[in-house]
Amino acid sequence: MTEPQSDADFFASVVAEIENEAQIRATSGEYPRALLRTLDEEFRRWLPDSASQQGIEESIRGIELASYVDPVVPIDSRSRLGRKVKYSIRRLTYFYHRHITQQITVLGIHITRPLRLLDASLKQLSRRLTALEDSLDVNTIEREELLAGLSGGKLTEDLSAEIVTAMSSVAGRILMTDSVDLDLLRSLQNPGQSAYGVGPAVIPGNDDLELRYESATDHLNVLPGQSLAGLILTGMTDRLSLNEQLRTLRKALNKCAPGARIVIIITLPKYWEQLLGPVGADLLDGRPLHPETWVHLLKREHAENIEVYKASDQSSALVTAILK
Amino acid sequence: MTISVHQLVPTISPRDAVGNHTLFIRSLLRAAGYDSDIFSMFRHPELTGETFYIDQLPADADALVYQFSIGSPIADRWAQHGGRKFINYHNITPVEFIGKWDGLLEAEVELGRDQMSRLASICEHAICDSDFNRSELDSLGYNSTTTIPVLFDVASANPDASTLKSINKKKSGLQILFVGRIAPNKAHHDLIAAVRTFRDVYQNDAHLHIVGTDGPPNYRKMVDAVVAHADMADHVTFHGSVTQEQLVAFYQGTDIFLCVSDHEGFCVPVVEAMHHQLPVIAYNSTAVGETVGQGGLLLNDKHPLTIAAALNKLNEDGNLAGRLRRAGVKRAACFNRETTSNQFTKEFVDLMGSP
Repeated sequence: MTEPQSDADFFASVVAEIENEAQIRATSGEYPRALLRTLDEEFRRWLPDSASQQGIEESIRGIELASYVDPVVPIDSRSRLGRKVKYSIRRLTYFYHRHITQQITVLGIHITRPLRLLDASLKQLSRRLTALEDSLDVNTIEREELLAGLSGGKLTEDLSAEIVTAMSSVAGRILMTDSVDLDLLRSLQNPGQSAYGVGPAVIPGNDDLELRYESATDHLNVLPGQSLAGLILTGMTDRLSLNEQLRTLRKALNKCAPGARIVIIITLPKYWEQLLGPVGADLLDGRPLHPETWVHLLKREHAENIEVYKASDQSSALVTAILK
Repeated sequence: MTISVHQLVPTISPRDAVGNHTLFIRSLLRAAGYDSDIFSMFRHPELTGETFYIDQLPADADALVYQFSIGSPIADRWAQHGGRKFINYHNITPVEFIGKWDGLLEAEVELGRDQMSRLASICEHAICDSDFNRSELDSLGYNSTTTIPVLFDVASANPDASTLKSINKKKSGLQILFVGRIAPNKAHHDLIAAVRTFRDVYQNDAHLHIVGTDGPPNYRKMVDAVVAHADMADHVTFHGSVTQEQLVAFYQGTDIFLCVSDHEGFCVPVVEAMHHQLPVIAYNSTAVGETVGQGGLLLNDKHPLTIAAALNKLNEDGNLAGRLRRAGVKRAACFNRETTSNQFTKEFVDLMGSP
C-alpha cells in the first residue's frame, strides 16, 4: 500500500504541528517553567570553571601509582618446567629487579614533586583570578540590559549597496561576523563567492544561507590562516571593549589572504551615545570607535585603498580596505 | 609485489566504534588483496597478538590511513612517513563540550583540532563518516574529501529475556530510550528536563532508560544532581554498559528512541534503533539530521516543551508510529555493512589501483 503523502512531507507536517502545539502551551504558560528554570540553575551550578586542574591532579596521581613498580616478576608459563625456570631466574635476579624498581619509584617521586608545586601555583593563580574577576564584575545585569537594547540596528540601504559593490570582485570565502545581516548575506551569494555568517545570535532556519551559531572568537580560533577572501566585521564593533575589538581585528586579519577585502561596519559614536543616553554610554565597557580610528588601525595592519562611507542618516559608517 | 595499505590509530580496542571500524577496514583491505596491518600506541590486551606497536610501522609502506578521532602523537608519525597519506575522519568533539568537564580529554581534543588544521596540506584524501564531518575538513582546506559512513554491525542478537521483563514491568507509561556514553555533548541533562516536562504536561508515568558507560565523572555527578532536583530518581534508570542481548532487548522493549545530542559526528545508536523498528525522535544538530534522514522525526529546537509535545504526538498517533517504524527500517538499510564495505573497497581501489 502506498502512502498518500511522502514520508518527508508527512514528517515535516507533523513537526510543524508539534512546534505549534509547543508554542501554544508555552504562550499559555502550561508547562513547568519554574522547574525548568531551576534545572538550568542546577546545571550551571555544577558546571565547573575548568577541568584542567583536575586533569593535572589525575595525571600526578597516575604517575605516582605507576612509579611504584612491582619487583616480583610474573612466572606464569604454559609448562611446569617453564614456570620452574622462571621462578629460579626470579630468585636469582630479585636483588637486581628490586634495585631497578626502587630507582623508578624515586624517579617518580622526583617527577611528581615539581608537578605538585606547579599544581599548587595554578590553584593559587586561579583563586587570585577569581577574586580579580569578582572585583571587576560589577553592574553586569545593567550592562547586559544595555547591550540588549543596542541590538536590532538595521543596515541602511546605501551602506548595504556599498558593501555589495566592495565585495563584488571577491572570489572565495567571505565571513560576516558577529551581527549577521541576513539580507546582506543573501545578496553576497554570487557565483564564485561563498559568504557565510557566524555569530552568537544567529538564527537558524534560513536554509539558503550558511550560518553558524558560535562566537566569532571561537570560530576565528579554528579557522586556518589566509582562508578568507573577504571579511565583514559588524556588531562587535559597537559593544566590545577596545582591547577586545583590537584583538578580534588582529585575529580576523590573520585569517585573511593577501588581497582580501575588509569591511568594518560601525555605529557612529555620536549616534551611539544618543541611542544609549549618557548613563548607558558611561556604564558600558565597550563603545564604537570613530571611523578615523579604524582607518588608522587598518593602515597599521598594512591595508590599502582604505575608504570611509557614512550612511545617509548619519547613524553608521563603513570602512573598506584591501589587505596587502 | 603486494601494495601495502596500513592503518594508524591512537588506541585500538575491540568494543569501541573506531576500533571495530579499523578492524573491519583491515579485513576488507586484506580481502581486496592489499597487505594491511594496524599500528597503534595503546592496544587492548585482546588485540596485542594481531596488531602492532607504532614503532614497528614499516618505513616502506605504500600508504597509511590514519583513523582520526582525537589528538595523538601518532598523527606526527603518520605525517612524517614517506608513503601516501589518507585520513579516515570520525570527528573530534569540540572542546566547549569537554573542556570544563575533563581536563585530560580537553588537552587531547585541543591537540586533535590543532592537528586537524595542520594536516590539511599533507593529506592526499580524507574519508569522512558524514557530510557534517566532511564540511569540517573542507572548511580547513583539505584537498580531496568524500563521505562513507562508519562500518559497524547493527546490534543483532536474541533479546535478553530478563531485560525485556523489567521494561515490561514499567509498561504502564511510555518507555523512552537513549543509548550513548554519558557525556556533555550528548546532553543527558536535556533528556531529563524533556522527560520531566512530558510527565508534567502529558503523561505522568513515562520512564527514561539510559544505556551507556559513564564519561567525565563531573558530568555524571551533575546529571545525578539534575535527576534528584527534578525529582526523577524513580523515573530514570541508568543501565550502564550492557551486553548485545540486553541492548537488543532495550531496542525491542521500549517505545521511542529520543536523542537530543548537541554534537555527533555520526550516531550509530540512532541507526540501530531504526533497524529494530523503534521510532526515533531526534534534535537536528550536527550529523544527527543526515544520519536520521527521513527515518525519524527531526526537531528544529530542543526546548523541553517541544520534545514533550513530540513524545505525546508519537504516543497518541498510531499511524505516525507505524510510518516512523517503516521509514526507520528503510533508512537503517542504507548503512548496511556490506554496502558500506563495497564503498570503502572501491574507494581504496580507486586511490591505490588494483592490488
